[in-house]
Amino acid sequence: MYPALTDEALMSRLKQNDHSALETLFFRHYKPLCQFCTVYTRDYTIAEEIIANLFMKLWDNRHDALILNVKSYLFASAKNLSLNHIQKKKAPVDFMEDLEMGHDIIHDTDTPFKILSGRESYNRILTVIDTLPASQRQVLLMSRIDNLDKQEIAAILGISVRTVETTLYQSIKKLRLLLKGYHNSASGS
Amino acid sequence: MEDNSYQLIIDYFEKTISDDGLTQLQEWIEASPDNLAQFSEAIQILEATKSYFKQTENPEKAWEKINAHVNQQESPKPAVQKRRWLAYAAACFLVCTSGWLVYKSLNTKPALTAEYEVISNADGKHTRFLLPDSSTVYLGGGSKLKYAKNFIGKTRAVYLDGEAFFDVVHQVKRPFTVKSGHITTLVLGTSFNVKAYAAENKVAVTVKTGKVGVMADVRGRPQVVKYLLPNEQISINTVSGLYTFNTTDARAVNSWIDNDFIFYDTSLEEIAASMEHYYGVQIEFTEPDLGRVKLTAKFKNISLKQAMENLSALSGLAYTQKGAHIFISNNNQKGGKIMK
Repeated sequence: MYPALTDEALMSRLKQNDHSALETLFFRHYKPLCQFCTVYTRDYTIAEEIIANLFMKLWDNRHDALILNVKSYLFASAKNLSLNHIQKKKAPVDFMEDLEMGHDIIHDTDTPFKILSGRESYNRILTVIDTLPASQRQVLLMSRIDNLDKQEIAAILGISVRTVETTLYQSIKKLRLLLKGYHNSASGS
Repeated sequence: MEDNSYQLIIDYFEKTISDDGLTQLQEWIEASPDNLAQFSEAIQILEATKSYFKQTENPEKAWEKINAHVNQQESPKPAVQKRRWLAYAAACFLVCTSGWLVYKSLNTKPALTAEYEVISNADGKHTRFLLPDSSTVYLGGGSKLKYAKNFIGKTRAVYLDGEAFFDVVHQVKRPFTVKSGHITTLVLGTSFNVKAYAAENKVAVTVKTGKVGVMADVRGRPQVVKYLLPNEQISINTVSGLYTFNTTDARAVNSWIDNDFIFYDTSLEEIAASMEHYYGVQIEFTEPDLGRVKLTAKFKNISLKQAMENLSALSGLAYTQKGAHIFISNNNQKGGKIMK
């Protein structure tokens, strides 16, 4: 393992068939990559499978691949593989049902403050996160992954840093309104 | 204003907020109770989002799968193997014939010159290998080990510049020696660590098991300085000849072979030297005095950045990295050192 080498230096060692270089890259990025995949797959086990395949492909294509930024490449590939997986499964159809389910869970709460306080409310927030518009949900969750900064998120998603910032605070605003909205409709009925 | 406030809240949560931003945020929160509510709710949301990824991952298991794939691919294809086999045969033939010729030419003179094997590591890499007698060597970063092929002769001698841990196979009739400049470590069968980077003018020998004799060349003749027992350590300054002897935890000294670092009450200077070889970087102190700070720290298989963060948190010193150069400086210092 070469803890001090940059991703790019490791890539050039990889081209010389160095196993340890692959191992170093793997352990450096495995956790954030799996978390990132979960944003799309919503299933950690599937995410782990996708990432394992990604590193096998990285090894198989080590001589042909022309990679400028290794980290962006890994995350962008992880996104594509995840989206392919979802498409194959044709899961997004039940999205509206999720939304309805979110309503039910939120209904029995009292005030926004109570919604937001206490550990139980975390689960409610997490349920509501899944009802956010896809782009907002994606940026909000990505911003919570360790060692992934605004610049890198922008590069992976192919948007500007400014858009990442805007989407992030819009997502929080929207989430707050969603939580509040559920409360209002609950007390109104 | 509201959008800007959300940006400030995010910066605040991520601890990247500027002093000005903090004042602005504070003013905004104090402006109305609704703002305060917005602030605490936004923070709660950000907190909750963290737990979205609460799954425990198992990277080792996934790595095994990938490693199996990589190794399976590694086995050469039959066609290539055939050609390789021919190449080996040709090489073998060449070696045999040339060997025979060399033998013929040497046979006239009885002196048999030993051939040496040299194994060297660049900074930032360490390797484990077996010597011809099956003794195990862990060779550290920026280190070089030289030994006679097949260990011809009455002793098993190796020459070390750098750091290595030896686990020596017991052979009563053929003592094992490690030569580092004028200092020789003599053993029969035991495990011990030798740290002898020529550039540091210091040789440190630490024994894990068995018994070791440390000898120094005095006027060209080796004399025993000290016999060491487990957990005993000797440090010799190769310039002044002064040495210190103390007991220590041998496991801590050998920890580097498992990608761990354990330092007990060790000067920052020494820690930096170890890290230089392990991570393949250069560490400099803007003021030499800073290297005298003593620390106790344990790093387990972590990246250079994490190690430096920890060291700077422990010592209260700041550091900056420029490529493979790291500068450790006083925290309150406003200036720095200009790279040439």
